[in-house]
Amino acid sequence: MGPLFGIGYNDPVLVGIICLCLLFGLALLGVRVAFAAAIAGFVGMVELIGFGPGASQVGTIPYAKTSLYALSVLPPFILIGFLAFHAGMTTKLFAAARAWIGWLPGGLAVATVMAQAGFAAVSGASTATAAVFSRVAIPEMLKNGYDRKLAAGVVAAGGTLATLIPPSAILVIYALIVEESVGALLLAGFLPGIVSALIYGAIIVLWARAHPEAGPAVKGYTWGDRLRSMPGVLPIFAVAFIIISAIYGGWATPTEAGALGAFVVLLVAITQGMRFRGLKDALMETARLTVMIFTLIWGIFIFVTFLNYSLVPQTFSEWLAGLPYNPYAVLFCILLGYAILGMFMDAIGMLLVTLPIFYPAVMALNGGEGVTREESAFGLTFEECSIWFGIIVVKMAEVCLITPPIGLNCFVVNGVRPDIPVMDVFRGIAIFFVADVLAIAALVFFPEIVLFLPDLMR
Amino acid sequence: MSGGSDHVLDHPPEDGLGRLVWRLDRILRWPEDALNFIAALAIMFLMLMGVVQIVAGLRWLFNAPIFGYIDAIELSMPILAILGIAYCQRMGVHIRMDILIQNFSGRLLWSVETFAATCTFVIMIFMCYFAWNFFNDAFVIGDSTTDAELPTWPSKILVPIAFGLLVLRAFVQILGASRLALNPKLAPVGVVVQKDIAEQAQEEIREAMAGEQREGPG
Repeated sequence: MGPLFGIGYNDPVLVGIICLCLLFGLALLGVRVAFAAAIAGFVGMVELIGFGPGASQVGTIPYAKTSLYALSVLPPFILIGFLAFHAGMTTKLFAAARAWIGWLPGGLAVATVMAQAGFAAVSGASTATAAVFSRVAIPEMLKNGYDRKLAAGVVAAGGTLATLIPPSAILVIYALIVEESVGALLLAGFLPGIVSALIYGAIIVLWARAHPEAGPAVKGYTWGDRLRSMPGVLPIFAVAFIIISAIYGGWATPTEAGALGAFVVLLVAITQGMRFRGLKDALMETARLTVMIFTLIWGIFIFVTFLNYSLVPQTFSEWLAGLPYNPYAVLFCILLGYAILGMFMDAIGMLLVTLPIFYPAVMALNGGEGVTREESAFGLTFEECSIWFGIIVVKMAEVCLITPPIGLNCFVVNGVRPDIPVMDVFRGIAIFFVADVLAIAALVFFPEIVLFLPDLMR
Repeated sequence: MSGGSDHVLDHPPEDGLGRLVWRLDRILRWPEDALNFIAALAIMFLMLMGVVQIVAGLRWLFNAPIFGYIDAIELSMPILAILGIAYCQRMGVHIRMDILIQNFSGRLLWSVETFAATCTFVIMIFMCYFAWNFFNDAFVIGDSTTDAELPTWPSKILVPIAFGLLVLRAFVQILGASRLALNPKLAPVGVVVQKDIAEQAQEEIREAMAGEQREGPG
């Protein structure tokens, strides 16, 4: 069988562009992204290298890209998240955070952010975190006279912390696509997650000082209250300690650490009254999400294999690196592109579709493989740049969960509290959007925040 | 966005094509649910294996990590990663961009859905065939893992099985969607009914709240 479009290897870049259009066309017409990518990749392979060789490459990808030990970390990480909801940790975390920091201006809102950051240590799911905290924290804030826009906004925004603080499925996926160390990426997300939470907290305090009626301080907690709140949050610290110390100290692989973390949360959930039915539901949900992610991975990899034959990423990289503009300006444009795309696409899908082209381009912009810090555009080695860019794009993808028109987190908050109109949630989000822009700027200009922990590991 | 739900009617619809789709949908449900349940069990097993591996590997305790642990995990990955693929297609879990089609309704929507299901059907026939060849090669040459020398074919055969079921599921969706394209007023069977953003939010909430029902707020 000859080339389908009669172009073949005469102009691989043209074939690449045709198949990129095919991918987006199919995806827009409702073909699931994974299958659209598989179709576009397969068609492109047949065009470039013929049916037989194309088929033999494409045919091995679903198995080869799923039966990898490094990827076995995903199911335990996802399971921890689902089990954590059964373990009743959110209420206890919020109670503890309230007792410790409720006295600040806007203290309950700050406590919500800190509790969500803590919950992120057992959950990688933004929307689910926003949902549960809508029920736990919003009533408490409203009872204390908080402005409902602030109450709703903080819950929706705080949910996004889940994806940076380990365990995070999306960072594992990023690590896989760019062939970076899973452990390094997971560690790298930790400090940016904390910094984001602190920036959220600082913005709330400033806002509440300027508008004392919007977020009054809640006083009257004793040290006894504070200490009594601690045992309830111990399991969270245990899981965070297991995962971070295992990756950092190397006493277990991320998969094993995830498994142990899931086991600890399971035990807590059982003591909280979870029965077989709850466990089965959590496992079935985990299975669904696992299959969804893996299908996307192998579908996209078929397309990526083709893209590499087509030389599109290389051509795009050379073009981008050769632009006569400041590299930070180019990076800014790329991030802006992500912000726009993120308005219409799910975070994981967006990363998988865009990274095969943008990742090599940003690496080339930095100076390519083997570049030293001094020679590079961003003052980072290849490996450092790769981790740094990952954290920034994941943070970008998260910001899109709170921006109109389809900021899913905002709709989740409105779904739990139908009395708070979605427009009020979007209004309440505004100050957190400013906080996120500051956080991203901090990550861009102070890469040390991202690289401090992974550098220690080396 | 990926929200969707499968539609279950207790009784077959009146029209002939509807009855056929309803029946085929029922036949496929059982193996799909079973395979996803096996995947769920495998996840439980993966968790327990990880814990055992850590305990058994403790230098001061047993210092005897499970032999072939990594090989076994790699071979079992297709169980958790691929077996449930048809189940996910039925439930509308696989993500898609609905920016354009969310504006469609009636005949146009179901025609586009028919097209999408047909695309999935065609590519998965190819993928199923390729995966079968891949398994067959491994079976014929007696391929095994490098460390523990476990045979790979029992793991590789799972891929064409799961893909085959997805081909059948996509076929049911073609029938279900084209039936609605012909007459959008009929009750939907054998198709994923797309949800809007507010309904997706409700879905997320239901999932997250399942475990939190017992607790009061605050």
